[in-house]
Parts: sequence; structure tokens; C-alpha cells
Amino acid sequence: MTTATQTVINVVDRDGASRSVEWEPGQTLMETLRDNDFEVLASCGGTASCATCHVFLDKSIVDELGERSEDELELLEESEHYDANRSRLSCQVDAREALDGATVTVAPEED
Amino acid sequence: MLEDVVVIVGAGHAGVHAAVRLAAWPGRVVVIDEQSGETYERPPLSKDFLKAEGQGDASIPPLRKEQFFADKSIERVHGRVESIDRRAHLVHIAGGRSIAYTKLILAPGSAPRALRIPGGSLTGVHLLKTRDDAVALRDALRPGRRVVIVGAGYIGLEVAAAAAVIGCETTVLEYADRVMSRVTSHPVSAFFERLHTEHGTRFVFGAEVTAISGDGHVESVMTADGSSYPADVVVAGIGVVPNHHLAEAAGLDVRDGIIVDADSRTSDPDVYACGDATRLVDAEAGVDRRLESIQSAQAQATNAANSIMGSARGKDEVPWFWTIQHGVRLQTAGLRRPDDQIVLRGRFADGRCTVLYVRDGRLAALDTVGSLSDFTAGKKLIARATPIDVDAAADVSIKLGEAIPAPQTSTL
Ligand SMILES: Cc1cc2nc3c(=O)[nH]c(=O)nc-3n(C[C@H](O)[C@H](O)[C@H](O)COP(=O)(O)OP(=O)(O)OC[C@H]3O[C@@H](n4cnc5c(N)ncnc54)[C@H](O)[C@@H]3O)c2cc1C
Ligand code: FES
Repeated sequence: MTTATQTVINVVDRDGASRSVEWEPGQTLMETLRDNDFEVLASCGGTASCATCHVFLDKSIVDELGERSEDELELLEESEHYDANRSRLSCQVDAREALDGATVTVAPEED
Repeated sequence: MLEDVVVIVGAGHAGVHAAVRLAAWPGRVVVIDEQSGETYERPPLSKDFLKAEGQGDASIPPLRKEQFFADKSIERVHGRVESIDRRAHLVHIAGGRSIAYTKLILAPGSAPRALRIPGGSLTGVHLLKTRDDAVALRDALRPGRRVVIVGAGYIGLEVAAAAAVIGCETTVLEYADRVMSRVTSHPVSAFFERLHTEHGTRFVFGAEVTAISGDGHVESVMTADGSSYPADVVVAGIGVVPNHHLAEAAGLDVRDGIIVDADSRTSDPDVYACGDATRLVDAEAGVDRRLESIQSAQAQATNAANSIMGSARGKDEVPWFWTIQHGVRLQTAGLRRPDDQIVLRGRFADGRCTVLYVRDGRLAALDTVGSLSDFTAGKKLIARATPIDVDAAADVSIKLGEAIPAPQTSTL
């Protein structure tokens, strides 16, 4: 049974393996990924300072989530794997109903 | 058959990161910490948390939820490790319990330097290191209170920013002649001093704090020149000392930090150390330093875990650090030296400027104020020790990543 507050996402790791995880209310996407042992370093603890929590989401979801902050955009735009349509810093994404069932792909590591 | 056990002392940034990295280790992993409760992120303690209204410590994010450790079969033990018996491969915990290890990782962090002056332990004098410290300080910062901060380093300034925003009467006493003198250059210091001054914080430089007076509770702070500063709250932000005593008592090499190599190995091959407690010495690479940062703690923890698991060492990451004061973000990458050539990129007056530190024609370090794009691009140039075209680098219309000399066309 799924309740209204339960968000389940499908995460694709760097090695291409994918797995469904539950996203707890109150957490950022980064925290969910980290707690579920995906390889996001998140060295800055979620303060949009390091870009090591870079993920790709479907364009429709990125659009629905709305504007990225200036800091987030600056960091993303300098990443080698930046995709204007699909890139987000997972630490800047909060749990939303829009994300239920979404696929999140962990971006490749920067060289 | 005896099982292999990795024991980790300290569940802070380094210890938890090492445990996470050891998830694939086939034996047991035991993490011991003297603090009870969930692990937690330290950076927020001196930043948003101090300004956040509300009770308790619910808003401090954990490093990992408790459930994570259970899911990974990482054992958590609450207790203070009092001694290490390297011959018997045992750690002794206060209260009498002992745990045997195959490999030991020491990650005990650092302790804030206390004000060792008369009155230094009066109530109202705060240090900021743990979750409990942060809760106590937040409860003390009330509008209208007179707050005297000793030390204009990262912690002192972050606290000053929070205090000023809350509406405290904020004074910073600093021995040096500028803010963050240990970690940055004059232009950056000047910018941050102005930023804080504009928010009402008063600075006194060249101030040597000699005593704190008060009847039980602080009343004023005295300096060597005979001045006295009335205070309801005193915060000491005068640096940290590495927790290396446990290692020292166990006979490991220690010199203002537990000495470790690039694999985070101590002078005992079965004992590793990482984080604030360590001093990295790599004579070949000319490295002899102690760093207090999350980045360094994580990198050293990764190296320790990789070495224990027999996997290759990760690539060296450029040391980096960040601080946020009055909403302005300062990000530092690389390690500057006072004699580096300083190149300004942008204007502080625009609230956005990068200071480049050039050594032997190469980008060695940088400070970015409000410019994350320069931070990321510059960090890569530093990692590659790229020769830099100084004129191009100073020109904001050219991307920093492209400010490199044109390739030499070879002539026969
Ligand atoms: C308020 C504050 C803000 C900061 N902000 C930033 C920032 O913005 N950016 C940044 O890069 N860095 C920041 N830092 C520094 C950063 O937190 C440290 O560099 C980092 O925590 C070091 O990790 P560590 O694991 O070595 O030590 P810690 O995270 O301090 O962990 C050490 C742990 O070991 C435990 N311990 C010690 N001795 C024993 C023992 N004998 N037995 C059992 N347990 C023991 C301690 O209780 C502690 O839990 C900040 C630090 C503070 C205090
Ligand atoms: S965790 Fe550092 S930018 Fe997201």
C-alpha cells in the first residue's frame, strides 16, 4: 500500500545498476541517495558548494521542480557532465510528490 | 576462526566516511564514539543553525541515519576509548570494555583551544565544537546581548555573523591585524572585514585578551592594553588542537598531530589515522601539514579504507574549504603561500571576486567570493598545476578555465 507521503524513486548508479528506494519526508534527494549507499560524496553536506551530488532527472521533472538557484546553476554549468535539461544538485531537491516514481541517475564522477 | 575486525575511534566526518567506505569489507566494522546519539554534520553548527529559532537540535543533519549503520552491519559503540594496546591489538574503553582489532583507524578529531586565562571558565564563555556546544550558544545569543568573540578566524566570523543578524551587540577581538589572516590574503580579509562592519560588528585588532572578569558569570573581557569590553556572552574561536594523545600514549609517531603517510597509515602498519587529528607527512612530495576540513577528512578516510581493503589509492583531491558569512560564500581551493603572486579577477565592489595565487607561473590556489564557476574551473587548473596566462585570468570576460597560455608551436 502506498500512502500519500511515501515517495519511491528509481535510482541508476554510476555502474548502470538500478534500484528502487523510498524517499523519506524531510530529506533532500542527496540525503536519500547517501543513506541508500549510492556513490554521492556530498562533501559540503548539502550547502551547494561542491557539486559532488550531481544527478540527472527527466526534463519534465526538472521543469516541474522550477528554478535552480544561482549557486546551483554556477556549479552545474562548470561540471563536465552538465546537461541543461536534466542536471540538478540533489542536495537542492526536496521531497515532492512530483518525484514519486521518478528515475534519478547519478552523474559520472568529475575527472 | 577469528574474524577480521576494523575498529574506528570517532564517529565524526572522518570516522563515518571510513566506515561507509569499508562497506565491502568482509569482516566486522565497529565505530566507537564518546558522544551519544546520531552522528552529525559539523559545518551547520556555526552557520544557519545558530540563527534558527526553535528548540533542541532536530535541525542538525545526521552524517548518516542510525538505520544506515544497522543496514550495513556497522556496529556502533558508545564510549570513550582510553588506551590502545598495540601488541595485544586491543582498544580499552572507559568502563572496562575492550574490543580487539585487526586494523585500527583513529579518527578522534580535534579539540577547540580553550582560553587559558583568568576567568576563562566562567559561565557565559562558550566554545563551539559539538552539537551540545551549538545548542548552548544558540540559546545564549539573544537580541540585545553583548557578545564578545575572541578570534577572527572562520568560526569566530561565522558566529559574529549569526550574532549580528540575531541583533546582538557584537565585538570581535583579534590578535592579528586583519580577519582570517591565517587562511587568506589581505584583499579577502579587507572585503570580509567591511562586510561584517556594515552589519554592525565591531573589530578590535592587535588585541591580546588577558582575562575575563565576572562573579560566576562573565561581565567583561580585558585586553593587554588595559581596555575592557563588557560582555554577556564570550565565544572563543581561537583554533583547535589535534586529539593525538591516545596515539602518543600508544607510542605512535606524533608531532602536533598523528603522523600519517599518503595512505593514512601511522608508524604502526595496523593503525591508520584520518581527519583533524592527523599530520600528513610525505617527504618525497614535500608535504608536512595538518588540515582541518571535511574534504581532507573524507579523502584521508577513503585512503585508509582503500589501503585496508587492498584497493588502489584514489587520486589526490585539491584541498578545499568553504565558509558562509552574511550570505557571502568564500570558497578556497589549494594551499596558498604568503609569497604567491596575487592576481585579482573581478572587483570586490561588485560583491563577486576571485583572488588567484600564482606560483612559478602556475595556479596554486584561489579564493572565490561569490563566484562558484571560478571555484570549479580553478580547482581543476590547480589539480593539473596548469601554467596560467595572468592577463587572461584577470579578465572576467574570459572563462577562468580558458586563461591558459596558447600552446607553443614547435619549430624545428
Ligand atoms: C562549528 C564547526 C564548523 C565547521 N565548518 C566547516 C566548514 O564549513 N567546512 C569544512 O570543511 N570544515 C568545517 N569544520 C571542520 C570540520 O568539521 C572538521 O575538519 C571535521 O569534522 C574533521 O573530522 P574528524 O572526523 O577528524 O573529527 P570530528 O568530526 O570532530 O570527529 C571526531 C569524533 O571523535 C570523537 N572522539 C574523540 N576522541 C575520542 C575517544 N577517545 N573515544 C571515542 N570517541 C572519541 C569525538 O567526540 C568526535 O565525535 C567545522 C568545524 C566546526 C566545529
Ligand atoms: S552536497 Fe555539495 S553541492 Fe550538493
